[in-house]
Amino acid sequence: MTIVGSKKNGLSAALEPGTRRRTARTEMSPLAMRSTQLLLTLAVLGAWELSVRTGVVDEFFFPLPSDIFQTVWVWVSSGFVFPHLWVTMQEAILAFIVGAAAGLLLGFVLARVRFLERLLDPFLQMFNALPRVVLAPIFLLWFGLGIWSKVAFGFTLVFFIVFFNTLEGVKSVDRVLVDNARMLGASEKQLLRHVFIPSALTWIFSSLHISVGFAITGAVVGEYLGASAGVGYAIAQAQGVFDTKGVFAGMFILMIVVLIIDLLVNRLERHLLRWRPVQSS
Amino acid sequence: MMPAAQADKSKYAVELAGCTRQFPTPGGETYFAVRDINLKVEPGRFVSIVGPTGSGKSTILNMAAGLLNPSAGEVMSFGEPVNGVNRRASYMFQQDPLLPWKTVIDNVSLGLTMAGVSKSEAHAEARRWLEKVGLKNFADRYPHQLSGGMRKRTAIAQAWIVNPDVLLMDEPFSALDVQTRQIMENELLQLWQESGKAVVFITHDLDEAIALSDEVVILGAGPGSTVVGSYEIDIPRPRDLLDIRDDPQFVALHREIWGRLKIEVSKTYETAMAEEGDVA
Repeated sequence: MTIVGSKKNGLSAALEPGTRRRTARTEMSPLAMRSTQLLLTLAVLGAWELSVRTGVVDEFFFPLPSDIFQTVWVWVSSGFVFPHLWVTMQEAILAFIVGAAAGLLLGFVLARVRFLERLLDPFLQMFNALPRVVLAPIFLLWFGLGIWSKVAFGFTLVFFIVFFNTLEGVKSVDRVLVDNARMLGASEKQLLRHVFIPSALTWIFSSLHISVGFAITGAVVGEYLGASAGVGYAIAQAQGVFDTKGVFAGMFILMIVVLIIDLLVNRLERHLLRWRPVQSS
Repeated sequence: MMPAAQADKSKYAVELAGCTRQFPTPGGETYFAVRDINLKVEPGRFVSIVGPTGSGKSTILNMAAGLLNPSAGEVMSFGEPVNGVNRRASYMFQQDPLLPWKTVIDNVSLGLTMAGVSKSEAHAEARRWLEKVGLKNFADRYPHQLSGGMRKRTAIAQAWIVNPDVLLMDEPFSALDVQTRQIMENELLQLWQESGKAVVFITHDLDEAIALSDEVVILGAGPGSTVVGSYEIDIPRPRDLLDIRDDPQFVALHREIWGRLKIEVSKTYETAMAEEGDVA
């Protein structure tokens, strides 16, 4: 008892100077932060460019950043990349919608029906334990080279993330809120609408951020393994002819697209969770 | 204070008859929270339940609310067995029960909108209640923007707006500071006096219980506690809670009831010490 107590005291004493220093330090203004970030980017890219030009790094493996951006520009300005991007987006959006809907539905049902949760838990754990990439070849056989094999693959990635987060989110709802709503006359449907769904939203959103990324990952990996269109296919083609610039250009374009989508999810999250105290978000 | 329906003894606002509640422990044994509880609350009466820590006060209230089924015995409300949630009752929780994603006015009108009242009508009624609890300028705030006392007021409005016949209150003011708490107690009494509702009030604070109630029920030390005493509080109403602690009647009642409660409190303390000794 005493040992634990003194340890705790020692720990908080050790932490204290750090916290004090942190509060005392003045925060950087957003503009200054942005400029520093820009500087950092330029420094890294500049170092990269320089070390390739001076021959320290082999251009075959690490093409010049300037060349990569030029390839990106060619892909974009010639319109070459857009049909591929469209295919990838279609796959990702379908996988995301179907996966998230199924995950939400099953998450809510299992969180509310204890019997089903206990019944299905081992099976869900089993499928979740399976490294999803090994499913890609079998989906390719089942659903063909078109978009559906990628949608199925993305689905398996998105579904489990959304499902487990929803289950946890609904189960961790404050008991008092539920009891209070029931005392005020809430039916099961009203409980869901007024208490469980809003309460699980924080969890669901944290899963959406990850699952949006995974939906695109699913599409790209699927395309990479076998497809006739899509950004993953374009990257695989570039790799096939040892065009590393093309590989990097594909990566860059995907990165920008995912960033934009994440920004939109953030917007939606801020709107739907506007009731939250500012400091916790 | 005696209700008109006194002739009909079955029409208690809340009646617990021989109620026992047990829980299975992780070790596979049975833990008795409360044993053989008999409690009768007439309509319009303010009854407090006081007991030491772990005497199952909340268990009793949850059974009266229908949130918890008794393992044995029966719970009645106005002559009807409570099956599922007690429709005649509102509950005020010790913890914060407000939905953080709803504004104050949406929280207060929740009971009405869920019962199918139109939103404009429910909001009009909610505004009346917010004015009554002094929060009419805070209707569009979210709960986290309010102080603890304001959140309690919101919770009171939320519980009262559905016009229940019984109010079940589980240490509703225990989280507040002493001054805010006295103000809230005064406001509660005023609301209650105009209303004719029955109140079952849980507290561990004997002062609070005597000051507010018509009757104070004492629970024995847990586990498996039961009612060990019941005291009529005949201090005339309306009472001024800010000065009541100097009232000679209050002092006499306090001495008498504390004499009984003290025994249970020290029993609880001794058990706790003995258990701690076992662990060491």
